[in-house]
Amino acid sequence: MSSLQSTLSQYLADPSEVPGAAAEIICAPASLPDAAKVLEACSAAGASVVPWGSGSQQRVGGLVPADVILSTHRLNQIVDWQPDNMTVVVQGGVRAADLAERLAERHQTAVLAEIPGESTVGGLVATGASMYRRARYGPIRNRMLEATLATGDGRVVRGGGRVVKNVTGYDIPRLVAGSMGSLGLIGEVCLKLWPMGAAHATVRVDDPERAWATAYRPLAVLDINGSSFVYLGGTPAEVAGQSAQLGDVVSDQMLWPEPWIGSGDEVRLSMRVRPSDVADAVASLPSGWEYVAAYGVGEVSIGCPKVSLDELADLRRFAEARGGALVVLDGPTALYESFDPWGSPPSSLDLQRRIVARFDPDRIINRGRLPGGL
Amino acid sequence: MGLAEELVALVGADRVLVEPVDLYLYGTDASIDRGPVKNVVFPESTEEVAEIVKIANRYQVPVVPRGAGTGLSGGAIPIGSSLVVSLTRMNGIEDVDPINMTARVGPGVINLDLSKHTKALGVHYAPDPSSQSICTIGGNIANNSGGPHCLAEGTTVEHILELEMVTADGQVIVLGGQAPDPVGLDLRGVVVGSEGTMGIVTSAIVKLTPNPLATRTVLATFNTVEDAASAVSAIIARGIVPAALELMDKLMTVAVERFVGAGFDTEATATLLAEVTGHDSAVDAELEIVREVCELHDAKAVRVAVDEAERARLWLGRKSAFGAVAQMAPDYYLHDTVVPRTKLAEVMAKVYEIADRYDITMMNVFHAGDGNLHPLMAFDSTEPGMLDRVHAAAKELVEVCVAAGGALSGEHGVGIEKRDLMPLVFNEYDLDAQARLREAFDPDGLFNPGKTLPEGSRCFDFGRPVPEGVWV
Amino acid sequence: MGWVTDSAPTRAELSACVQCGLCLPECPTFRLTGKETFSPRGRLMAMSAVADGVVQVDAAFEAIMDSCLQCRACEVVCPSLVPFGRAMEGARTELTAQLPSSQRKARHLVVGKVLASPALLRMATLGVKAGQKMRIGKLLPATLRSGFQGIRPIMPVAVEAGSTYPALGERIGRAGFLTGCVMDVWFSEVHAASIALLQRAGYDVVIPPAQTCCGALAAHDGDMKDARKLAQKNVVAFANVDVVVVDSAGCGAHMKEYENFTQDGEAFSKRVFDINELIAIAIGSGRIPTSATERGDVAVQDPCHLRHAQRIVDQPRSMLRAAGYNPVEIDPDGRCCGAAGIYSLLQPVLSQQLGAAKADQVRVSKAKVVASANPGCEMQLRSYLGSGYEVVHPVELLWRAVQEDDR
Repeated sequence: MSSLQSTLSQYLADPSEVPGAAAEIICAPASLPDAAKVLEACSAAGASVVPWGSGSQQRVGGLVPADVILSTHRLNQIVDWQPDNMTVVVQGGVRAADLAERLAERHQTAVLAEIPGESTVGGLVATGASMYRRARYGPIRNRMLEATLATGDGRVVRGGGRVVKNVTGYDIPRLVAGSMGSLGLIGEVCLKLWPMGAAHATVRVDDPERAWATAYRPLAVLDINGSSFVYLGGTPAEVAGQSAQLGDVVSDQMLWPEPWIGSGDEVRLSMRVRPSDVADAVASLPSGWEYVAAYGVGEVSIGCPKVSLDELADLRRFAEARGGALVVLDGPTALYESFDPWGSPPSSLDLQRRIVARFDPDRIINRGRLPGGL
Repeated sequence: MGLAEELVALVGADRVLVEPVDLYLYGTDASIDRGPVKNVVFPESTEEVAEIVKIANRYQVPVVPRGAGTGLSGGAIPIGSSLVVSLTRMNGIEDVDPINMTARVGPGVINLDLSKHTKALGVHYAPDPSSQSICTIGGNIANNSGGPHCLAEGTTVEHILELEMVTADGQVIVLGGQAPDPVGLDLRGVVVGSEGTMGIVTSAIVKLTPNPLATRTVLATFNTVEDAASAVSAIIARGIVPAALELMDKLMTVAVERFVGAGFDTEATATLLAEVTGHDSAVDAELEIVREVCELHDAKAVRVAVDEAERARLWLGRKSAFGAVAQMAPDYYLHDTVVPRTKLAEVMAKVYEIADRYDITMMNVFHAGDGNLHPLMAFDSTEPGMLDRVHAAAKELVEVCVAAGGALSGEHGVGIEKRDLMPLVFNEYDLDAQARLREAFDPDGLFNPGKTLPEGSRCFDFGRPVPEGVWV
Repeated sequence: MGWVTDSAPTRAELSACVQCGLCLPECPTFRLTGKETFSPRGRLMAMSAVADGVVQVDAAFEAIMDSCLQCRACEVVCPSLVPFGRAMEGARTELTAQLPSSQRKARHLVVGKVLASPALLRMATLGVKAGQKMRIGKLLPATLRSGFQGIRPIMPVAVEAGSTYPALGERIGRAGFLTGCVMDVWFSEVHAASIALLQRAGYDVVIPPAQTCCGALAAHDGDMKDARKLAQKNVVAFANVDVVVVDSAGCGAHMKEYENFTQDGEAFSKRVFDINELIAIAIGSGRIPTSATERGDVAVQDPCHLRHAQRIVDQPRSMLRAAGYNPVEIDPDGRCCGAAGIYSLLQPVLSQQLGAAKADQVRVSKAKVVASANPGCEMQLRSYLGSGYEVVHPVELLWRAVQEDDR
């Protein structure tokens, strides 16, 4: 490792710059070609690499050891915002909160995390975190127009383009969303933007299933621990007209549930089922557990201080029987050893292995972080 | 037994074509090239497709999947004597699920048939290519097809939840599902738009979209194409996302009007067809924004379609545009570039300038809201020197669009047509990465070879980049 | 070898197709098979292949051409305005010239000669009549049985050649009425109703004695020589009338295209009207009364050569409404019923599938009466619907209503 450390000397960062990161070597390249050089050196040395944004989602889907932590905090430029084209090019280390603040100047949104905290664009893309407004705007992969990666074997590779519609070649940007960094470090992405509604409302409803069926294109319909809300955005007339029909207006702002920050203390799960199974999924949860159930989407985020392996296995059976999955987002380290964070691997596992091998032949980035130990 | 005999043994003589004239009909699609066909086979089940692929593997014959053959980039045209697998008979619509708003469809289901099928439920299949009356869902998946209403609703890839696919080695795999975020790499997005190079999709679960509560269709005419293009950019910049923003120039409007008689103004230099959809209380406000912006950009006239019948006629006109070109000249050649929406007016001016310089009839009809241009040259290929001029002009057109920060294709696909232009937008590393991706799916390169990527894209066969400066 | 006749598909006809494929969904045979070899685009491409010398006019080419119904639904949706029907007749003419099979020759004897000969037709009619009396329908082979069972009971001829039927009320013109070949004796009730309504509408109706078969079946089958002869004969026979009125959609569509068969055909074609057109105008102008009596539902079947070839869609519905009926739509796509002239005999499998599908559409509509303005469709519908349904020409329903209301 010491020879690798010296090879990487010009890219090293002080550990204090990267809170929470624990590895012998912490690098923070300031450009994509530099990141590629770091990865090429790591590949040659057979060193395992964990890309690092804010560190808030490092426990999603698996805990992997790192010889080298590759922090994106110096890749923090908003490279090219074209408000009139409704696109923005940002580097992976840009904080989602900073991007949101900037885009708000022209009432635009990249529809990333509603309450982003410290999370970075690269981290949100890597974990495929589509959050609540996907009910209206679709998952994050739908906003990925272009992606530039530093691959495991040290190449800088770009796919897609900076236009809103594009079939020029294979859709690498979309593949990158949710790839857990397995194809490469997410150095730069071009995102499609949406106009923010002029008016908003959070409306309390009794029956979320009915609310989803009757509301016209809401931003979200959430059941938060037994209280249900419809989130509306659009023109003032549209929001006012719909609110009145749906229930009681609680706020003219969006009252989103507080996000969780990965800490290892508490078990956090994501249950994914068909939208029609959400009510049953909620009913299947033991009492006292916290949850946010997204109607019309099919995702139930679950938080539980204490949970037995049997309970987890039951939940997973429930989800997988419905064509879904139960994914561990966070939890004590011991849990990861006794309970596969992803569950049954997909039927395309062999194919996925072949793909990853072509981007990261020595399999150094986040090894084992994908389903099936990939 | 030979290939044809094995296929006949599998599916019966009625579903295998062997006669030269029959095969000739499968040598092309709606684009201009032609290739050799060894046989055509019409499977009716996933199992048959898997067996067909295995048989083709044994004979090392390239496999070219085909839907309705309406592609404009040559994606279904064989290169090297190939087995064409026509999926038109796998056209079942099953499991229409009004709660989850999904349906399971065979690849041969015709796009518009699906929306007709689900009409009574108040939902439709949103991507609407101009060829939607005939193009198949399988073909749409192969090309990640767009259409006028993809501006707000997104292209095909946003509407595909699950794919069942036969891989290059004849295995059946399932990608994605109805639950959100399948675990592992989400391969749906790569397979959609892969032009049949990664597998043969045998079934798909598609997302259905609720019909809009209210729709307003606007026809605005302008004295210059630049005014119309500026109006489009300005509408987008105003922060609304109309359901569709389509632009036609004068020559195209004349051709279309002759066929459809929808009341297009054939004197106008540019015609903008805009549609806003949404909640009853929102559409009129958006309509006013569109009207106001058009007037600010010197619109000659702005008219709102009075009823569904007029709306249908206007759209029929728009969607018949390419076919109508034949009234003008026997041949046409079009590109499908995309430019940032801020560059529309500037690029359009250059497009006409190029056509003038090469003395070629230029007609335009395109998805202006997406910045997706379809510059179309109408010509007579028997005129001496014409083809050379067309090719030279086409090259310049693409270069202008790429220089403006654009892409080679917005929805028609790369196919054969734009394959060799790929280096204009991607460097060797980018192309190599795409070639690697393809190789992971199809190591022997028997699935629709010669499409999408130029020859020699796989530069770095040993998994390591060659250091800079080593090659010339 | 390429083409050998002067009727072959022309370069202009073929190059008008840009292969966009918009015709495919409208083609009944493509819908059934999913094959380009059964599609308009494929057929045109096969013709181009012959024109370009890539393939010969052989049995495989013949199969591609012969599966075509010539319903011309493709023409309606073609933004390139390809004259598909004309090109197909050209291709069939080439088949006649290059592949003179005995079967085709026998067919041409019927469509070119028997249909044009009153004496021979009378013999055939006597045969059918005798057959109907003896109920031999059940004994015939399946391919012939359905057609035979669709034939109306033979009635005495109601219309005599050379007669004149004077206009009632204000006289607006002189109409020459085509009695046709089969229609003359097998559909005399339809003729009677048409003539009576034309009189009401203000036409002096004459039955030119020199008229003959319109030649449609001959042209569709590639018997260009006879088709030309018949067209020329009719142009002369109908020289002295203001309008030529036809109550069979297939004949009308063909006579509107006489320009492809005789030199003076273009001027002639402008005077040809389907009965639906003239009567709908008469209803609109009040010359034929609109009934106040409600008479129930009628399923409307659009003959292809009315809807696609002549683009006549609203007029039969206007007639039915004027007769007090509620026209019920059975098929928004207006797909062919599979009768298609002699197609039901030549391609029994495809014809059977289309006929059965059309009958199902009628059954779904719940209507017990079906209006169809073409003899071939009428026969097809009758045989696939079976008992319990009445299949009539719209003019019959209107004439009945007018008579009832007169009482």
